[in-house]
Amino acid sequence: MLKDITIGQYINGDSFIHKMDPRSKILVIMLYMIALFIVNNVVGYLSVVIVSIVIVLVSQVPLKFFLKGLKPMVFIVILTVVLQMIMTPGEIVYWQWGFLKITQEGLIQAVFLGTRLILLVSITSVLTLTTTPISLTDGIEYLLKPFKKIGVPAHELAMMMTIALRFIPTLIEETDKIMKAQSARGADFESGNLIERAKALIPLLVPLFLSAFKRADELAMAMEARCYHGGENRTRMKVLRYTYRDGLALIAAVLLLIWAFVSKLF
Amino acid sequence: MSLVLKNLYHTYQPNTPNESHALKNINLTINDGDFIGIIGHTGSGKSTLIQHLNGLLKPSKGQVLVDGVDINQTKGVHLKEIRLRVGIVFQYPEHQLFEETVAKDIAFGPKNLGLNEKEIVKRVKEAMQIVQLDYNTLKNISPFELSGGQKRRVAIAGVLAMKPKYLILDEPTAGLDPKGREEILTQIQMLQKELKLTVVLVSHSMDDVARFADHMVVMKKGEIVLSGKPKEVFGHYEELEQLGVGVPTVTKLMRQLRMRGLDVLTDIITIEEAKNEILRVWQTGGQKNA
Repeated sequence: MLKDITIGQYINGDSFIHKMDPRSKILVIMLYMIALFIVNNVVGYLSVVIVSIVIVLVSQVPLKFFLKGLKPMVFIVILTVVLQMIMTPGEIVYWQWGFLKITQEGLIQAVFLGTRLILLVSITSVLTLTTTPISLTDGIEYLLKPFKKIGVPAHELAMMMTIALRFIPTLIEETDKIMKAQSARGADFESGNLIERAKALIPLLVPLFLSAFKRADELAMAMEARCYHGGENRTRMKVLRYTYRDGLALIAAVLLLIWAFVSKLF
Repeated sequence: MSLVLKNLYHTYQPNTPNESHALKNINLTINDGDFIGIIGHTGSGKSTLIQHLNGLLKPSKGQVLVDGVDINQTKGVHLKEIRLRVGIVFQYPEHQLFEETVAKDIAFGPKNLGLNEKEIVKRVKEAMQIVQLDYNTLKNISPFELSGGQKRRVAIAGVLAMKPKYLILDEPTAGLDPKGREEILTQIQMLQKELKLTVVLVSHSMDDVARFADHMVVMKKGEIVLSGKPKEVFGHYEELEQLGVGVPTVTKLMRQLRMRGLDVLTDIITIEEAKNEILRVWQTGGQKNA
């Protein structure tokens, strides 16, 4: 059923990572990603893999959620790995067929690239699995603040994201309702060819858009009635605070980045 | 023939942390020609219940029999055919309008049934007549230009045009002004009396249920807690107050009068009855004084 869709992937928890400030989580992840793209040999990759496993374990999120996140990536990972494997030129050739050949360099590159992709998805999953969408947008707003000077509307962007997130469940509920109402009038959303199905969506989409616009209008009115006027001098209900956890995590991330540079020397 | 619910259970999001038991062991028989009122607090399972009657929701356990046929059997049951017989008007049905003109919108249901052009036009005319909308002046107007009450009537006509045998209405008067409420309710009653439709009315208004229903069902947390003729059910004054649904305003009035020492009966649920009872007591009281 439509109602069963969950928005965001937040898994309630009480781990070290759950308690971190969203801003430092985003920063740490960015540093981690840089490190992940710098390493280029076995020592480097091995250390990043170990760090990643530690992060996943500390987050206390059950492994099945990471596997779920990886599922849609399977095809892309396999494709890149296979392409890397058969298209990389190299000295030591294990197998050749026309212009396709598997070389030692190719194999190593393929393993590196596959690892990189999987780690990338898993660690960004840690962010979304341990942070509620709302605190994530709060974090993004803070981090975008410096860019205000060059005209990036940080507060407005974050507000838009928050509102969009807030209304996804409402719209799903609305869709469900209208679908039922039209089904009761004999509408059929499930059978027929592509064109017939697209046509069958009109009785669903027209009312849905109408109500969405109406809601947007009403919300804007309600916000204005309460004197909302953008980001200047606004205080927040949930004030973001750095704690020792954020310090520790940031230091660890910087160390990882330095180690990534050093590992290139091996 | 009838609508029968047998040991019906419904669970939303089973086997997840958000699991909720919306219906528990519901047994209900709705006979042909009945006018049934379903009342209950918000979240008591009323809407979930009615969505089972035409197969929009499938029971987790139990059976739904429409004219003796279990509609959730996998073989030989066409839900479309069931939905032709069991028409549901949802809450705020005007939110489902989508066509360019009133006539086209009402024709949506009949069209889905595969009827021919002539029959469709005939049904649209009939349905508009029942809800007292003028076909000639309104047929080519956009439904979005109409007033709230008119929109609601267009939406109800959209269901009536399918000529259902059972008509189920989920709070058809919510958000309407008193005049609109009155008109819609009397039209619904007319449908039951004259066209012999079976009507199920889900409502928050005890006054409406008391006035129109022959039989009523009170729900609480997914279970039927009281059922019977309105007079019997409204006799359970304290229980209904506790459930947060209350009793009709006139029943309250009669109880107040009795508490103040006037010797009136309290099993009174409509204004007409109340008037007669007060007059009766007044007259006998008057005789005493004379």
